[in-house]
Amino acid sequence: MSEADDKNRYNLASRRKTFLGLDKEQALKGLFGGNALVSIVVLALITFFLFREGIGFFGQYRDSLKLYRSSGLEYVEIMNEQSAAFSGLTRYLNSIREDQTQLLKEQGLAFREIKKVQARDNDFFYGFEDLGYPLREYVLEKKELAIASRNAYEEMENLKVFRSNLLAEGRTEEAAAVSIVELDLSATVDQIRSGREEFLALNDTIEKELEALLAEAPTFEAASLNAKVERLGELTRMFIAEMEEYENRLLEWDSTQSIGMGRAFVLFLFGEKWVTNSSIQDWYGLWPLFSGSLLVAIIAMFLAVPLGIGAAIYVNQVAGPREQNFIKPYIEFISAIPSVVIGFFGIAVFGQFIRNASNWEALAWLDVFPLAERLNAFTAGCLLALMAVPTIFTLAEDAINNVPKAFKEASLAMGATRWQTTVRIIVPTSLSGIISAVLLGFGRVIGETMVVLLCAGNRIAIPDFTEGLGVFFEPVHTMTGIIAQELGEVVHGSIHYRALFMVGMALFIISLLINYVAQKIVIKYQISRG
Amino acid sequence: MTTATTVQPAPAASPISFRQKPSRAKLIERIFFWIFRCGTYFIVLCSSFIFLTIAYKGGQTVFQTSFPFLNMEFLTESPQTLHVFEYEGQKYEMSDQDFRAFREERGVDISTTTYAHSGGGIWPCIVGTVMLVIGSMAIALTLGVLSAIFLSEYSRPGRVLNAVRLSILNLAGVPSIVFGIFGVGMFVLAFGWGTSLMAGWFTLAFMVLPIVISASEESLRAIPQGLREASLALGASKWTAIRTNVLPYAMPGILTSSIIGVARVAGETAPIMFTAAFAIRDQLPWEGLDRWYDFFFEGVMALPYHIYVVSAKIPQNEYTERMQYGTAFVFLFIVASIALASILLRIRMRSKYRW
Repeated sequence: MSEADDKNRYNLASRRKTFLGLDKEQALKGLFGGNALVSIVVLALITFFLFREGIGFFGQYRDSLKLYRSSGLEYVEIMNEQSAAFSGLTRYLNSIREDQTQLLKEQGLAFREIKKVQARDNDFFYGFEDLGYPLREYVLEKKELAIASRNAYEEMENLKVFRSNLLAEGRTEEAAAVSIVELDLSATVDQIRSGREEFLALNDTIEKELEALLAEAPTFEAASLNAKVERLGELTRMFIAEMEEYENRLLEWDSTQSIGMGRAFVLFLFGEKWVTNSSIQDWYGLWPLFSGSLLVAIIAMFLAVPLGIGAAIYVNQVAGPREQNFIKPYIEFISAIPSVVIGFFGIAVFGQFIRNASNWEALAWLDVFPLAERLNAFTAGCLLALMAVPTIFTLAEDAINNVPKAFKEASLAMGATRWQTTVRIIVPTSLSGIISAVLLGFGRVIGETMVVLLCAGNRIAIPDFTEGLGVFFEPVHTMTGIIAQELGEVVHGSIHYRALFMVGMALFIISLLINYVAQKIVIKYQISRG
Repeated sequence: MTTATTVQPAPAASPISFRQKPSRAKLIERIFFWIFRCGTYFIVLCSSFIFLTIAYKGGQTVFQTSFPFLNMEFLTESPQTLHVFEYEGQKYEMSDQDFRAFREERGVDISTTTYAHSGGGIWPCIVGTVMLVIGSMAIALTLGVLSAIFLSEYSRPGRVLNAVRLSILNLAGVPSIVFGIFGVGMFVLAFGWGTSLMAGWFTLAFMVLPIVISASEESLRAIPQGLREASLALGASKWTAIRTNVLPYAMPGILTSSIIGVARVAGETAPIMFTAAFAIRDQLPWEGLDRWYDFFFEGVMALPYHIYVVSAKIPQNEYTERMQYGTAFVFLFIVASIALASILLRIRMRSKYRW
């Protein structure tokens, strides 16, 4: 026995086999630790990557908005708004005519006779409509000018990038061959603005003519038509009053006014338009998508919360063991239905059912029925409710189950009925758990993609809350839906691509927030089991 | 021996009656409990209705009355265009392949009404889904279970560990489309893998990773500390203690969590829409490859995406409906059986180990 062995006789560690200086224990620990590290790094990377791809959006969006302003498009757009407002008036005007035609038809008049009756008011109707033409022509002409100069400017910028790329690669000759025509956007802007007098003159004529026309507005036999004419007069006067505003805005407009990052940020979060692939200007406003998501989620939660919590109370407090053993796994099982199958069910069966149901006599008292669209927020909301129920049910049932038995027994011993015990003791004690269950259900609903993509109707518009109940039956678009729909067609690194990443980012933050709050609530209001 | 006692019959007119008197509180209780009961069964009915509709209509596509009772064409062919036509006074419905053969044979040109995706079967979709699940679960389970062992057994409790645990738990609730957009940005575009099996694997794996880690860790931590201590006290090394006294008891929990992960991976559409799924691919994943590793960099067809395509992109009528319901039925059947397995396993394990 050598001296070294003798020395290590009682040192067990020295007998272990080592590999690269690590024994088996340490190697295993390293393996596990390495995996944990990889997992954590990967998950952190997701957050980082989303952030990195998304954050560039604001700079690009600001540049795009800057160009929109400096090329004078914004200026043209103000005039365009006025023109569009006038078009709205003429639409209303035409609806009067249509109503009249309908009325006369019901009286049994032939087409030619109707025309004859209507010929009396032709001066008014055609005169009104014709007023808009010069304005529209004028705006169109200016718009084309602005778009052309904007496009030329963009091309110039692209060429500049191309040239600097060439220079960076050392291909100086080719770079020199790239000819770039320097374009001064302010010249275009001046050109557009120089027509201001013309525009004001147009407005003046419109104003005068409109007042003259209104003074001799026709009257009809039917009261409903007269009321509409009255309303038209009101609207027209409102329009005349607004014209001043448009003129002022044009006067105040300044092409050199800078646009800050904050403005781009606000326009993204609260912008009311999401318009892509437009020839004029792309808008990336989150608001219509967010409100659509919220509307669908509200409908879903409105249905799922009572059902989910009611079922949890029923299963835990009322149902017998056999019923429990059947219902609990069954509802948990619902959560396994893939969302795309539910979405398919919505398209194939449920949407049609909703539309048919809206034609029922029994529901005729609701003035929003019958429905035109089978795919709308309500269809998606109902289906999402079914997906949220298992989440809410499982978690709420857990929370109720965690209430100490003594609480219930004490209450029953005092002579309370089971219902009183449930409402006064069980639910208040488990309230924190129930609230977090509802929150997590909400998180599931707002993050769901396939159902809303298939069933929500996919119309990008802010729900019109003035319509009362009708708002629930409007087609909407959602944050998840827009990503799924548009991600396939974007160019890597483009502003649209980054905008979608920002939407994903918003979803990410919302869901993290919901989870975090839910956990906080559970921990903070945990019942003490003494 | 017990002495028999005779039970005295109760006096006919007892002054105290134990029968419940009707009261308002009782009435309210009954009304509300009935409302809840109806609500509960309403949920059960709604979901049953979905199951039954899809099973009934899909079953007509998948099953048939004659031998071999399964519609083999539907299960083994790839999706094709359906041709519907009349020939010599008879009505035919044929998938593209058969139609070509038929036309060759007769040597005539027949005008047909065509329905995209409505003929043939869904074999490539089933294969694609299975491949996606196997690959992504292999990644997720390796990373997830080993990480969970580290977090639960080796790491030192403290603030850092709690923060890590909390963020993993939070990531488990992030919508799947967010993982999808991450996968597109990272694997498809930044790494240049394109729409491929590989990109799909990693996207799906990272999506279920938080779920696998937190569920596995929970089942590891549920093992009483005493088991580990007893083992260590007998002189076992740390790994031996874990191997012999922790892992065997935690295994059922880990297994359940991984089955839940499988159901989730198989059922999700949003993450694979842009990372791995093709609307149509003629060849199976292992066919027509130039080099062996092209296998990983080609997209596949997948059941959930196929359902999306056939329900959103083609109109609904009696011909397309068969494909739609048939696919939905097969898919629902696969996912539901996985989920059912996990639920049953959990119920069994719950009663087996109780500390």
